[in-house]
Amino acid sequence: MFNPKDIIDILAENVKKTKNPFGVNKQKINSWYVNEDLPDKGEYLLFTGLMYQMIPYIEAVTSQLGKIEDSKFSKYSSLGRFVPRSLTNISLNALISKNNVDFSNEVLKSIITLLKNSNIDFLYSPDLDQYSGILLYDLGDEKYFKAHARTVANTLYQHNISKIITVDPHTTYALKVLYPKYIGINFEVYTYFELLNLTGDLEKEVVLHDPCFYGRYLELSHVPRNLLKNMGVEIKDILRNGKFTHCCGGPAESLSPKLASKIRENRVKQLKETNKLILTMCPICYTNLRKSTSNIMDLAIFLKDCVTT
Amino acid sequence: MRIINPNLENKLKKFGSDTAHICFNCGTCAAICPLFETSFPRKFMRYIQIGAEDKIMDEKLELFKCLHCGLCTSSCPKGADPGEVMLGLKRFVLDKLRRNQDV
Ligand code: SF4
Ligand code: SF4
Repeated sequence: MFNPKDIIDILAENVKKTKNPFGVNKQKINSWYVNEDLPDKGEYLLFTGLMYQMIPYIEAVTSQLGKIEDSKFSKYSSLGRFVPRSLTNISLNALISKNNVDFSNEVLKSIITLLKNSNIDFLYSPDLDQYSGILLYDLGDEKYFKAHARTVANTLYQHNISKIITVDPHTTYALKVLYPKYIGINFEVYTYFELLNLTGDLEKEVVLHDPCFYGRYLELSHVPRNLLKNMGVEIKDILRNGKFTHCCGGPAESLSPKLASKIRENRVKQLKETNKLILTMCPICYTNLRKSTSNIMDLAIFLKDCVTT
Repeated sequence: MRIINPNLENKLKKFGSDTAHICFNCGTCAAICPLFETSFPRKFMRYIQIGAEDKIMDEKLELFKCLHCGLCTSSCPKGADPGEVMLGLKRFVLDKLRRNQDV
């Protein structure tokens, strides 16, 4: 296991400098929208929070951390200096997996298709779309979380944004619960699937992996279930779901890739007992769980495939 | 020798954690926590109750393994909110480490 302070200080410094935890230029991370036909006016702002877009970077960094976790480097208190030099900037680009980039792009484009299909009046502005700072909050770095959140919330406020569509549980929790609590700025926040209006008779069966933030903190687990039911999809629920869902292990990856894989194995075993396609709703859950199973899909891609075929 | 800080829970309030005294040490949280580490997070609730600040600092690295997944909080029969107490402890420890640069 790494010294948490080293990792947190790197992340906080990067967020301060570049507004994302990897110290990478935002244009580089956020390019999924370039060939999309996206409205620049609308009732809701689509705010991705860059979590899906950061997946290739999270994976690149943690694959390197995994290699040095048990090596002599992990014992060094100088890891803090060692990690940013070799893992961010120069060498990071070479480690980005095209598959991960394609996955993130596909999810976000699927969400666009779904919102349009349900006639939701939304706009997208790459300038207003920012990382929420949630990782700093989860690691206990209240100071730098607040500093970052304040600039993000103020920018939205100055642009008269009041209604927001989010696409992942971590950003949703930050904007819906933490920003009002810590920054005092309130937005009307909806996860994309809360706004969709879909019906069908698909006769498919799936098992849902509820992310901790939707299942417990935001109590939204019933929403994707109702949506899927209306489309004729049968849900095979396991014991650990909704309020009592089991973490995918992903959040442990930045501090101990080994621990993350132990938790993941346990979760995948529970899900696999149903023998059904596993649906996830969070980029961290998907990327982590996929390491132990290939029978898995993001909810947005699943729904998009259903409405377009 | 262990140094006891009777004021510990009060001190933690600043870091958003003030429910540890409600815990009656049943161990439900430790049985359900996906980390499967012995007495985790229950023992930290106990350390706060008895004011064992130096034990918390000794075991500070372990604290950061907490996923902030909230399963313990959903399962605690007393409403002692162990998940948020763990987050409060992370803040407390990080603040202390940054002040002292003691790693
Ligand atoms: S479940 Fe609640 S009451 Fe029981 S040991 Fe854990 S925190 Fe204490
Ligand atoms: S919030 Fe932390 S202590 Fe509680 S169950 Fe999850 S990992 Fe365990």
